[in-house]
Amino acid sequence: MKQDRVLIIDDDVELCRLLNERLQPEGFAIETLQDGQTGLKRAAAGQHDLVILDLMLPGMSGLDVLRNLRSRSSVPVLILTARGDDVDRILGLEIGADDYLPKPFNPRELVARIRAILRRVSRDAGNSSIVTVDNVRLEPSSLKVWVDETEVSVTSLEFILLEFFMRNAGQVMTREDLTERVLGRKAGPFDRVIDVHVSNLRKKLGRVSSEEHIKAVRGMGYLFVVRSGSK
Amino acid sequence: MNLPTRSLFLKILLWFWAALVLTACSIIVTLILQPGGVPSQWHEAQIETVRYAAATAVQEYEHEGAQGASEYLLERDHIAHRQACLFGPDGMSISGGRCERFGSVAHSVAKSGKPEFNVERGQATVAVPIQGAHQDRYIYVTESPVGPRAAVDTNLGAVAVRCLVALLVPGLICYLLTRYLTAPIVRLREATQQLAEGNLRTRADERMSQRRDELGFLVGDFNAMAERLEGLVDGQRQLIYDISHELRTPLTRLNVALDIGRGRKGDDQAFDQMQQDLERMNQMIERLLTLAKLDAATATVPFEFFNLTDLVASIVHSAGFELHERSDKITMDSEEVFQVRGNTELLQSAIENVIRNAIRYNNSEEPVQVALERMGSFVRITVRDHGPGVPSESLQRIFEPFYRVADDRDRQTGGTGLGLAITERAVRMHGGKVDAVNETPHGLAVRILLPLQI
Repeated sequence: MKQDRVLIIDDDVELCRLLNERLQPEGFAIETLQDGQTGLKRAAAGQHDLVILDLMLPGMSGLDVLRNLRSRSSVPVLILTARGDDVDRILGLEIGADDYLPKPFNPRELVARIRAILRRVSRDAGNSSIVTVDNVRLEPSSLKVWVDETEVSVTSLEFILLEFFMRNAGQVMTREDLTERVLGRKAGPFDRVIDVHVSNLRKKLGRVSSEEHIKAVRGMGYLFVVRSGSK
Repeated sequence: MNLPTRSLFLKILLWFWAALVLTACSIIVTLILQPGGVPSQWHEAQIETVRYAAATAVQEYEHEGAQGASEYLLERDHIAHRQACLFGPDGMSISGGRCERFGSVAHSVAKSGKPEFNVERGQATVAVPIQGAHQDRYIYVTESPVGPRAAVDTNLGAVAVRCLVALLVPGLICYLLTRYLTAPIVRLREATQQLAEGNLRTRADERMSQRRDELGFLVGDFNAMAERLEGLVDGQRQLIYDISHELRTPLTRLNVALDIGRGRKGDDQAFDQMQQDLERMNQMIERLLTLAKLDAATATVPFEFFNLTDLVASIVHSAGFELHERSDKITMDSEEVFQVRGNTELLQSAIENVIRNAIRYNNSEEPVQVALERMGSFVRITVRDHGPGVPSESLQRIFEPFYRVADDRDRQTGGTGLGLAITERAVRMHGGKVDAVNETPHGLAVRILLPLQI
């Protein structure tokens, strides 16, 4: 079985060593880097299945690394944020991180998050048929999305989210459903990660088309709107 | 300026004014009672004037006779309000009306040959010896009103105007002086109040500290004090923030190391205990950081309009979710859809802390009740549990950081002692208020009041 390659960018050398020790038995190939510049270079090289990025990096900040990385790569990114620092967390998710974990974290939680994201992203053999709803077309084999023949660049996770929405177009998806299906974990009590992802996706689709594709249903969740009536 | 009747402003103003008016009055009274104090220059000038009039009267007498002199004197009385008489060298009156009252003065001047000047009850009597063309000696006596009496006698309207001026000019001066003295105090008081309300950036007006007097120094000292206060409090906040921040690094490592240890040695109760304490420390740090940020950065938190009813509904929903299959243990009731302006994240954690608290202490079969209702231009969120409540003397203090009602209970139930403190600060930052009351028969109701945006 192929090992999943995980890149950890964190300036705490000791923590990197401990994480390496903790994660290797779980079957991950770990590479650790301490500064943002080289971290960005390595992450963009496309040799990793997942990047764990500490937002509190000296020098080039984690948010800058993420912003740069997102302009070149859709590799899943899990950000480590400061506890109590909601602004960084929301910003990180908006820039395109897939999920976050506040520091200090429980390593089991970290392992679970890594596995969940990797499972979602690597699961593409099952249903690879092209999905089309109205003017939105989604191609699972190439992970590409088109709206009115304009390609929309989305992250791996946003792709999964959109695919889930489109395969269930016209049905209301609860936030719990979406979190479970897309992030591969149960939604926490005051978890708003999925809302940020949905909002990012809405923004990206909205840039190309003026129609509202994903609608919020108060008190319930979200739904992908079908206009033509035929899938 | 809105001032209480016993204000310093009014006191100083009235005292100074009264002092000035009384001084003026006493001078006038002294002049009336002590007329001797007429300046000698004026004295001389009066005599010179009288001499001139006397010479004319004598001339009239010598050319026209007693009749002519009388006419002249009457005319003078008419024009200048000065009654006068002309006496012969023997002190017998020659012409003029009602001369008998001047008789004694005339005699005395006839004897001495020197002019006399007497002031009595506001009437000046001037008597001068004068020589005619043929070396004949005459004595001329005249009287005229002097001093305050002169004023009273002449024109009542003018007197009123003078009194008014005497009253108003000191009044105006006193007003300006008092303002000059008390205005800085009033402004300093405003700054003090601001400071007491916790607005540590407040400084008294810099222009006031430019004054080179005691008040200027006071303002300068006040500003120095405020500066120091701000520095101390900021330093304390920064320290809490830094400590919490720095504690995170070793805690993160500890979390990982503990997990590695667990993997090697298998499950052990000691590990569980460590795990539990680590969790608590994690949570405490998170809350401390939130608290430190709430205290420090009022201006930097972004505000937006949002639907409070939806927010509370989602918190209640999540809390019910957290209660595992027991979502009937919490109910929500809202009269209408409330819109507020604020920071969603902060208000969420503020309301969330209260609801979590209520759930934690709700040891009854009754559900926790969350209600939203309109209170004028405010919306009130009431979170009521059916737990043991809080001793009434502690109701105010539960919003203080690390305040614990009973030593053991809160720790057993897993609180950090910071949740309600965060709530209080977050709500205050939004211009709202939070308080707690005990309900009958038992239970606690926490009420959050937030301003509505209409």
